Amino acid sequence: MPSDHDKDAYPEPPRQTPVVNKLSALPDPALILSKLFYYSVDLPVTKFREAVVRIQSQNKLVYYHQKFRRIPDLTECEERDYVCCYEAEMQWRRDFKVDREIMKVIQERVSACQAREGASFEQNCFKVIQLYEEVMKNFLSRYGDLGAYASGRKCLMKQKERMMAAQTQNT
Amino acid sequence: MVGMSVLRSAAALAARLGPLKSGNTVANLLTRTVPRTDKVVVRWGHGKKTFVIKATGFYDRRFMKYFLYYTLLTGIPVTIVVTCVNIFIGEAELAEIPEGYEPEHWEYYKHPITRWIARYVYDSPVKDYEKMMAAIQIEKEKADMRLAELEVRRCMRQRGDGPWFQVETLNKDLIDNSYKSTPDN
Repeated sequence: MPSDHDKDAYPEPPRQTPVVNKLSALPDPALILSKLFYYSVDLPVTKFREAVVRIQSQNKLVYYHQKFRRIPDLTECEERDYVCCYEAEMQWRRDFKVDREIMKVIQERVSACQAREGASFEQNCFKVIQLYEEVMKNFLSRYGDLGAYASGRKCLMKQKERMMAAQTQNT
Repeated sequence: MVGMSVLRSAAALAARLGPLKSGNTVANLLTRTVPRTDKVVVRWGHGKKTFVIKATGFYDRRFMKYFLYYTLLTGIPVTIVVTCVNIFIGEAELAEIPEGYEPEHWEYYKHPITRWIARYVYDSPVKDYEKMMAAIQIEKEKADMRLAELEVRRCMRQRGDGPWFQVETLNKDLIDNSYKSTPDN
């Protein structure tokens, strides 16, 4: 079975199941329905899953996380060295993908927090929303408005514009 | 012969108005009434239509027949194969790369069918990368050679000491200098 998610990233609220206080001798319909659901759906599905896992554990496959070496950047390439430019471009694309995945994780955290808290999410998950805003601002300042044909070269030019704007603002 | 045709028509008439035919009772024959069939008395017949008139479903049924046949011809084997792979082989689990071990390029994927395609159908990403870099290197060398050629043309045209841009002129030995040697001609 795949391992469970990180409990610190997506904390669950404390359980609020009330203590059963039977006042009448009549059978409890909720209990009956829950038992019915358990025996008709939950148990067969769990048994099937355990059987499948038992079959799959005999020939288990493994996959790894690929680690790429760091390559000299576009700024460290000579002017007409197109092979160096290509490698720097591929590295930039990999970094862009990694940044997009980071954004997805943070967005998922915010939506999980909002689904958990319900109507009072603005107050209760303030820290998560702060983090999301900051990360989104940084992401957009680096990769925003680059378009569909974004490349490392265009991103570098955007960085140059940012640095120029910061310089004119300082002086 | 005329008598034969008369006999024949008489025989036909007798067959039509024969006593054994239904509706040809003595009273009917005598009074010459035609039996009416639309006002026949029927008691408690069922209301179910036995002759239903509707638009043809032949073309639609034929289309559905062939559509289902041709989609299920490959659909069912593919479904069976994918189900068996998912149940009996199952997805891979993430693990740390062991020390000193270089995983093959298909061992970076999770699903067994993706692994199979990466292993037997596609080229490895390292090979694709190298192919692209080789193409770029060839193009770079071509561009460099073209720029060098332009520079060489410029230098040779300017300096005139190279093998290019040489214009063929007449041989100096063909010039007749004999009439130029005496001044009073």
